[in-house]
Amino acid sequence: MFIYTTPVYRLSLALQGFLDEQFYQLEELQDESSPNFVEEVVTLFFRDSSRLMANIDQALEQCPPDFHRLDKFLHRLKGSASSIGAGKMKNECAGFREFCSEENLEGCLRSFQKVKKEHTILRQKLENYFQLLRQVVPVDKATRSGS
Amino acid sequence: MDPAPTSSGKATASSSTGTPVAAAAAGIPTEFPAGLRVLLVDDDATCLKIIDMMLRKCHYDVTTCSCAATALSMLRKRKGWFDLVLSDVYMPDMDGFKLLERIGLEMDLPVIMMSSDDHKDVVMKGVTHGAVDYLIKPVRIEPLKNIWQHVVRKKRFELRELEHSGSLEESEREDERHKRAMEEGDNATSGCAEHSKNIKRKKEAKEEDEQDVDEQADPSQTKKPRVVWSSELHQQFVTAVNQLGIDKAVPKKILELMKVAGLTRENVASHLQKYRLYLRRLSVPQHQDRLDGHFTSAQEATFRSVGTVDGFDLQALAVSGQLLPQNLSALSSGSRRVTNTGLRMPVFDEMGFLNSGNASCTSPASVQQMNRGLSYFSGYSNSSDSRQLGQSHQLVEPYGNMCLQVGEEISGLLNLPSPQTTRSSLPGGISNEQVNRSLIMQMSQQGPQFSLSQQHENFHGQPFPRGQIFNVIGGHDSRLSSKFGHQMSPNDISSHISGRTANIAQTPLPGNQISASYSSVPQALYANNIHDSCLTESAASHYPLASSIGDTPATGNLEALSNTSSLKGVTDLSNCNMYSELRQNKTQDWKLETVTISYQSGQNLAPKQNKADFGSSLLANQDSIAAVQDESSGNTCTVRKENLSVTTEIEDDKIERVAQCNSTINSIRLKSESMPDIKHQEVLYDNIISNDLMDVGKQQQEGIIGQDDPEFFDAYSLENISM
Repeated sequence: MFIYTTPVYRLSLALQGFLDEQFYQLEELQDESSPNFVEEVVTLFFRDSSRLMANIDQALEQCPPDFHRLDKFLHRLKGSASSIGAGKMKNECAGFREFCSEENLEGCLRSFQKVKKEHTILRQKLENYFQLLRQVVPVDKATRSGS
Repeated sequence: MDPAPTSSGKATASSSTGTPVAAAAAGIPTEFPAGLRVLLVDDDATCLKIIDMMLRKCHYDVTTCSCAATALSMLRKRKGWFDLVLSDVYMPDMDGFKLLERIGLEMDLPVIMMSSDDHKDVVMKGVTHGAVDYLIKPVRIEPLKNIWQHVVRKKRFELRELEHSGSLEESEREDERHKRAMEEGDNATSGCAEHSKNIKRKKEAKEEDEQDVDEQADPSQTKKPRVVWSSELHQQFVTAVNQLGIDKAVPKKILELMKVAGLTRENVASHLQKYRLYLRRLSVPQHQDRLDGHFTSAQEATFRSVGTVDGFDLQALAVSGQLLPQNLSALSSGSRRVTNTGLRMPVFDEMGFLNSGNASCTSPASVQQMNRGLSYFSGYSNSSDSRQLGQSHQLVEPYGNMCLQVGEEISGLLNLPSPQTTRSSLPGGISNEQVNRSLIMQMSQQGPQFSLSQQHENFHGQPFPRGQIFNVIGGHDSRLSSKFGHQMSPNDISSHISGRTANIAQTPLPGNQISASYSSVPQALYANNIHDSCLTESAASHYPLASSIGDTPATGNLEALSNTSSLKGVTDLSNCNMYSELRQNKTQDWKLETVTISYQSGQNLAPKQNKADFGSSLLANQDSIAAVQDESSGNTCTVRKENLSVTTEIEDDKIERVAQCNSTINSIRLKSESMPDIKHQEVLYDNIISNDLMDVGKQQQEGIIGQDDPEFFDAYSLENISM
């Protein structure tokens, strides 16, 4: 039994707005046959999103910036974020897209910084969370293997 | 979680009767919709993985693809294998709507679109392109649990069409019987083993009928010379129908009016059926046009005009041998005719729409589609091409597919090959290839419906074993049934299958043969090819292997932690190096290690001072790992300085918190055998634990921890770091 998978911990994350209901959905999908599902998904997400954000960085540095391309990246990033339940990051992406549609480069740069920040915070939080999960083993199991 | 759906599917397919109980005992659902074969297409690996898992939770048989081209080729290769397609809208290589159209045209499968874009016009676009449903991301599992309804609905509609066809009396009888069965099925809950057994028996009976017929040397009833519905013939037909009045037009009378030698009532009946279907479809697009005026793009508007026909280089196509000469003339004249009669040829526009970007890239598939669409009107002979089947799998589609493009209301019309197809018997022991061929033959026998490329007119002028039609359709359905239909709930699918086989009553086939062929083929397909093809074609979309997890900063973080000896005051560079190394190598290791960690509460904790130190060094690690992360995204920084500043703040609080942790976390045990410094890690984890487990009253700690995070962030934000 993993006491740290109780809603208390998740709740703390959710309350801070970083993760929403969708993350809970992911956890519900995890079971004995896919014990690391959530972490795998999160891993995938950070891998893809890092790449996406690097692309966005590049796109923002272009002169003149290709807002259409930016929007595509953003759409994808927003979709990914929402699929793992990263509520705050999704909202920041939405704001970014607004600026993008207005072709407001300044606004884009600002909101991209916010997106990056949320991305990093989320990554940190989720890392902590998974570390925590790994540290916890069923009590009986630990008893057997313990000294 | 139950074993892979395929294994459960195999179990049910190969067993005859007692499996449902056995499988149920094993906890594997065996009734429909379990085992529903879904093709999932999404370029976003994260979404792909999530939805894949959700679908598996619904006990569906999922195949994933991360690009549309792969999906199409897979659908073509495994004709009749898939029941349903789930596709994202925005994909890099192909627009999801285009894929939707393609699938509708070629395979006539129900397609569900997904997107995080929920704007009304996008949703409408999905609808008008023929999607049976549109899901807004993030997708939850609940709507996915119900997607099977689209498969059932499609088949139900087909059966209803069959009833309205006014063809063979036997088929009518069977239709009614099966309609009743379907309705029973609707009422009964799934899992009624007895009912499903009944259905299975019915189905097998039908299959037997079909196979018997096929085995006959020359069953006069089933193997008829193919009728070529030339334009003149069709015109005569239409004249006769109009004369009689569409409502009163019965095959017998039409036949009399037409006065065509050699034409049988059945030929007329089948043609009439198709004609009726087509007319019905037309009535909807008209509404569709009005509705869509606002929403559809110009391309879609031309969708419904015939103008884009001219967009094709018809001559070139004809010369290239792809476009049947008959169809060419039909196209030239067809537009006029079509316009006059008010009939639409969406498929032409579809082709124009699809190929507008590149006139030269008229694929065989698109040309065939065009041929097919044209052939309806001009009644051209079908030439089937087994090889071409491999290219484009429009086999299983009737006119319905043409209309697929026309509107969502017509989605109900998007049925599998018209009832005639079901009136075929199934040659026994048909292999998968034969299934494909039979599909073609079926198409050819459909008469004017399908006009494949004339390059390989294998079946031109040959009597078309009707049984093969069922082979195809039945293959699709019986697969469903054979796979999980023996215990299939009294749902429409099995009823449909039975219904269809009933229509083929003339050519009964041994049920076991059919089951065998289908149970073996699809499984073989799945076992051998789909997995491989999926893996090879969409490796990226598959679950990341364990090693890939090591690629993540999270893993790297832990790996760094696992080498805590190097952590204390270690340079950030070494951490970075470690990270890149560990990335590749140590995923498995640390995983194992962490599993064995157990925590002895309170007793093995290092002295407070150490704890604080290591806590800070751990934090420092995190800082440095964060630094690494930033490195991976192109930023470089050292966080050493920040470590110190963070450390001092944390030290005091940590000590307090650790003490609290000891009392609250008795049940957690971390083994420190393989990790010398694990106890120091404990501190950090304690902090995490305490931070998050403590109740609101302990906000102070939380606040401090909360402060840490922004500091972490600031520690490695480019602006703040001082090198």
